[in-house]
Amino acid sequence: MERGSAGLGAPFLSVLSLRDISGATHLMQSRGAFAERNFKYLLVGPAIFVLLLIGIFPLVYLLMVSFQGITMTETSTDFVGARNYAQLFHDARMWEALLHTVIFTAIALPVELVLGLAMAQLFLERLPGRQIFVALLVLPVVVSPIVSGATWALLFDHRFGPINQIIGWFTGDTTAILWSINPKLVYPAIIAAEIWQWTPFMFLLLLAALANVDKSQLEAAAIDGAGWWRTFFRIVLPAIWPVMAIAILIRGLDLFRLFDIVWALTKGGPGTMTETISIFTYVKGFQQFETSYTAAVAFLVIILLSVVVMLALKRVELAR
Amino acid sequence: MKDQSHGLRRLTVLRGLLLSLVAASALAWAGVASAQSAAQKAVEAAKKICNGKTITIVWEAGLQSLDPTQFSGPLWEKETGCKVKVVEVPTAEMFTKIMQEFRAGTGAYDALNVIPAWMPDLAQAGALEVLDPYVDKYGFRDELKKIAPTYRDNQMTVNGKIYGFPDDGDVFLFYYRKDIFARADLKKAFKDKHKYDLAPPKTWKQFDEIGSFLTDALKKDHIYGAAFFREPPYTMFMFQERFRVEGGKFFDANTMNATVNGPVGVKVFTEMRNENRFMPPGVEKFGFVENLATFLKGESAMTISWPPYGRFAAGYLANEKALSWVPKSTIAGKVGYALPPGGHPELAAGFALSVASTSKQKEAAYLFIQWLNSEEISGKRVKLPYALRDPFRDSHYTDPEYLKLWPDAKEYLSALHQGAQTGLLDLSLIQTDKYEEALRQGISKLWAGEDPKAILDKVAADWDGITKQVGTDKQKAVYSAWASKSGAYPK
Repeated sequence: MERGSAGLGAPFLSVLSLRDISGATHLMQSRGAFAERNFKYLLVGPAIFVLLLIGIFPLVYLLMVSFQGITMTETSTDFVGARNYAQLFHDARMWEALLHTVIFTAIALPVELVLGLAMAQLFLERLPGRQIFVALLVLPVVVSPIVSGATWALLFDHRFGPINQIIGWFTGDTTAILWSINPKLVYPAIIAAEIWQWTPFMFLLLLAALANVDKSQLEAAAIDGAGWWRTFFRIVLPAIWPVMAIAILIRGLDLFRLFDIVWALTKGGPGTMTETISIFTYVKGFQQFETSYTAAVAFLVIILLSVVVMLALKRVELAR
Repeated sequence: MKDQSHGLRRLTVLRGLLLSLVAASALAWAGVASAQSAAQKAVEAAKKICNGKTITIVWEAGLQSLDPTQFSGPLWEKETGCKVKVVEVPTAEMFTKIMQEFRAGTGAYDALNVIPAWMPDLAQAGALEVLDPYVDKYGFRDELKKIAPTYRDNQMTVNGKIYGFPDDGDVFLFYYRKDIFARADLKKAFKDKHKYDLAPPKTWKQFDEIGSFLTDALKKDHIYGAAFFREPPYTMFMFQERFRVEGGKFFDANTMNATVNGPVGVKVFTEMRNENRFMPPGVEKFGFVENLATFLKGESAMTISWPPYGRFAAGYLANEKALSWVPKSTIAGKVGYALPPGGHPELAAGFALSVASTSKQKEAAYLFIQWLNSEEISGKRVKLPYALRDPFRDSHYTDPEYLKLWPDAKEYLSALHQGAQTGLLDLSLIQTDKYEEALRQGISKLWAGEDPKAILDKVAADWDGITKQVGTDKQKAVYSAWASKSGAYPK
């Protein structure tokens, strides 16, 4: 500063009053404070921008498309008001698909939970070969759902499938049960495949949760003479509930977007009897190219799922 | 002076001779040029523009695509230097993939295989290139005229413009076991019971009686009177044929209301379900391969299917490596060919060759499909043992080489030719797939045991909804144009 001042010469120095210098210093200080105060925002800013770009932008775009009239043959992006939403509320097939999804979820989720918990409880004990069994049990989870669906389609095959063959051994006659056509059997078939694949997921999470239950509490309960059920409901269940709630939430969301297994087994049939909301959306969007209408359906599903997730998270929070 | 005039006259004569020679040469060259086949023209033109370029063509996955990957693709490259990349897509996904690519506009596909019933949709969406200018430029119009009239007149144009070259003579044929129909004991028992001769059925009533009779007579030998593919995508075509043969109309031409749920539709649906009783257990799940296996193993006496069944059954392809998955025919030499009951077979599906409007090398793509579809090359392609292209040009039905392929090839080609003349077109409207989807769902409900009338009422309601959505007047115009085609309804 001094060197600079000397260089600039006395006349210039006289122009810069002390007040100006102190003002500049203050400005620099306040700028530094601002930068310091907002540094954290600068750090997270890019990440937030990317999140907005990949999360919010598609959502906004989806919402925008849902108010347009884009179809296979109509590429005009003119707004058509709430026409797609009005159509959606009168579309019986869409509501049926939603209902089928809820039915699958309402049946498969509790069964997977109870079976997963029972298996976890069983494998909590130090059994011989436990690690091998656990590894084998987890295998279905690593299989792609579409492969799993195709495999179950073969298992249920009316002529060459082992399931009909085994039933045939008991009945003593050739059995040609049409699992994917008979209306009474098609839901059990899909749910069986779904449970086979995803119960191990529940099992894994709950095994980890059960392993972390405070042993001293269990011992204290035993000393106090508490029975197995009482101990389970009063000590074990509250202890594993946060993990269990997350497991339920993840599987619930998974089941809500159930597609692959149903597609491989029935393609939503017979008729639309097993059509889930994901299959309905796929058919409308990517087979019939009702782009804007599909956007409206997708937006409705997002709203419904968001409400469910918020309620569920609130519930988990309360549990803590 | 005289010498001078004489010399002048000689010069004039010489000049005249020279001019005549030049003119004659020019005419000869022109003659050679016009005598060039469409295939040669395509090759010559492609040589100039290809220069190592790669053309991408969408083809049905499976056996169909062995044609471009093993035969036509390598041959085209050898003759023109133009490479061919084949994108194999399952039939059910072809429309979706083509539309998705068109919407994305990437130019990933140059040439396309298109099911003719989709053509109005794809043309209206703008996904297909109009081919007329290329046809004229490369002199293909004369050869197009030699495509069998049913395919040429019904599966090539939309609103008078050429969008694709019919390239596959898909038509349902009726196959029956000649040896079973010739058995004296069966003939006598049948005549005693039904008072007419045991022969390939002319009506669906006869089919039901023969099928039921043969199952009763032969079930102990594990032979059923008939088996069909019953999976909804296939049955949809069989229903379309049978419904029209029995006198049904899809729509009221004045109001465009669906009439598929009338008495004819209910009758056809009811009979179709009843027929399953004399077919193999689980026939409701039979697709192309299951039905083929049943027939080739000699377990069904009658069936209806596309032309390859006839070739597979004849067994002349038995040593073809690509066909190792086809069960060995136990009925070679025992198969008779006829038109299905009613005599108006469905021209089910089929393929046309088109150029994608988003292609960046339309000229090269066009030349490839002209060459494929030409008299010369198509004649070779329909004889490929492993590919599934069926005769579609007049010359294919009388090809001496084809006639020699197996002892009954003449009868086979004759039946195909008849089918091409009386065949019925698949329903083709704007958004055809939506109408088909409603019908497919109806058929799956039929196999699930629901009431035929209730199912068809729902199908009709869905069809009306789709028509309303598309625009009744717009769809009515398209339907009228379709219904006026020679193969829309039996005459």
